[in-house]
Amino acid sequence: MSATERSGDAPGHTADDVADLIPMVRRIVYSRVGSHPSAEDLVQETLTRVLSAASTVEPGMLEPYAIVTARNVVSSLWRDIDRKNRNQHRLVDLSAPEPPEKQVVLEEEQSAMAAALARLDERERRALLDHEVDGADTHALAARHGTTAGAVAAQLNRTRARLRVEYLLAIEHVDPPTDRCRPVLIALSSGDQRRQREVQAAQHLLECEPCARLSQPLLERGQQRNDCLRIPVSSDADIVSARRAARELATRLAFGATDLTVIATAVSEVCRNIVRFAGSGEVVVELLEAPTRGIQIVARDGGPGITDVDRALGDGFSTYGGLGLGLPGVRRLMDEFAIASEPGHGTTVTMTKWEGTDHERPT
Amino acid sequence: MNGGPALVSIMRQGSTLIASVHTALNDSELVRFEHDLVDQIGEHRSRGVIIDVAALDVIDSFAALTLRRIADMARLRGAQTVLVGIQPEVAFTMVRLGMGTGAVPTALDLEEGLALLAEQGSHHPRPDEPEA
Repeated sequence: MSATERSGDAPGHTADDVADLIPMVRRIVYSRVGSHPSAEDLVQETLTRVLSAASTVEPGMLEPYAIVTARNVVSSLWRDIDRKNRNQHRLVDLSAPEPPEKQVVLEEEQSAMAAALARLDERERRALLDHEVDGADTHALAARHGTTAGAVAAQLNRTRARLRVEYLLAIEHVDPPTDRCRPVLIALSSGDQRRQREVQAAQHLLECEPCARLSQPLLERGQQRNDCLRIPVSSDADIVSARRAARELATRLAFGATDLTVIATAVSEVCRNIVRFAGSGEVVVELLEAPTRGIQIVARDGGPGITDVDRALGDGFSTYGGLGLGLPGVRRLMDEFAIASEPGHGTTVTMTKWEGTDHERPT
Repeated sequence: MNGGPALVSIMRQGSTLIASVHTALNDSELVRFEHDLVDQIGEHRSRGVIIDVAALDVIDSFAALTLRRIADMARLRGAQTVLVGIQPEVAFTMVRLGMGTGAVPTALDLEEGLALLAEQGSHHPRPDEPEA
C-alpha cells in the first residue's frame, strides 16, 4: 500500500501530500465499514481517485476532497451490495434444463402428426387447418363451402377422429394388419356406438392384438361417459371387481336389493366362464335408457367358443366339473339373455335386466 | 391369510369351529378358505362347523359349490356343518340360479346354528362355558 508514486511536478499537490492523507482516509473508511473484507480496497480506491485528481485540486482543499471521496466510495459500496442483494434472485435459474430426450420426443410427435395429417385427404385437412390453426369458425367455413355450420362441425369431428387414429398408427409405427383395423379404430375414436356395432369393433379388438393396444388411449378418451364401464377380465380377482362395478352402476337405477344381487351374481357367472374357458376377455356394463331403463351386460371373449350352444344352455351340461348350472341359471336370473358363439372365435353373452320388472319379494 | 386384513376368521368354541367370512372372496380365496377350514377341523378335532356367510353379497355357483364341498369334507372328517347368515337377496338369487346348498343344513344366524348343532349332539360346550 503505497501512494508514493510521484505524479510529476503538478502545480497543486504531490503524491507525498496524498500519502500523508492515508491514515485519515483509512480511519474514515474503517469507521464506516468496520471489518468489511473490502475495507482495504476502499482505502486504495479512494487514494487512487484523490491521487488522479490531486493536480487539479486547489491548494489546501486536498484533505476535504479526500474525505468526501472516501465517503462516496463507501456509500457506493453499500449501494452495490444493496443492488446485488435485491437482484440476486434474478440470477438464479430455477427452471430445470430441458432434458435432451424431450426434444427427441417432441420431434417424434411432430413427425407423427405430420404423417397423420398427410394421410388425411386434401379437403379434410384444409378444413381442419383452417379451423384449428387459422381460427376460422364453423360459420365462416360453412359459408365458404356452401353448407351449414352443423355439417362442418360434424365433418371436423370425423376428421379429428381419423387424425387421432392416424397419429397413433404413425407414432407407434403400426401398419394395420387387416382391412378391418382402420374402420374399427376410427369408430372407436369417434365414439360412435352405432358405427362400432356395424364394424363389430369389440369382437375385432379381442382378435387383433395391435388394435387392442392402440384402442387403449382412444377408449380412455371415451371413458368420460359415466354410464358405461368396460372391465377387462383375466383373473379370479377381476370377477369380483367386475361384479362389484356392475352392482355399483346398477344402484344408480331404481333396482331393489334383490335385483342388485341378481345382477352381481349373473356378472360373476359369465366372468367365471371367461376366465375358465377363454383365459381373458372383457365385460361391458352399460345403463340403458330405451325402451325402458335397465342395465345391459356384455361379456366377450376370444376363446375357443362353444360348439353346441343349445346343449350349453340345458341344465346339467357343463364342460368343467361341477353342477353344470352356469348359463341356464344366468338366463333365469336376467330378463334378456343372448349368446353368440363361434368355435375358434370366442363367445359373446349379452344380457339385460330391466328396471321395475323385479321379482322383488313382497316385504 | 396373505397379509392385509384377514378375509376369514376361524375360531374355536368348545368342539365347534366358527368360521366367519368377512368380505367378498374370489375363487382362489374361497379354495384357500376351504383348505384352511378342513385342516383346522382335524387339528381341533371339531365335531361341528359353523360357516357364517352373512358378509357374502354374492353366492354364485362356484361359491355354493365350494361351501357344499366343505360340508362334504367336514362330514367325512366327522364334523357336522351348518351354514348361517345367508342374506335374503342371496337366498333368492341362489334359488333362481338353481343352486341350493344341497344337503348342508342352514340356520338363520349364529345362535340358531349353535342350537342346531347342540340338538344334533355335535356341540359339546365346555364346563365353564354358559349353555347356549
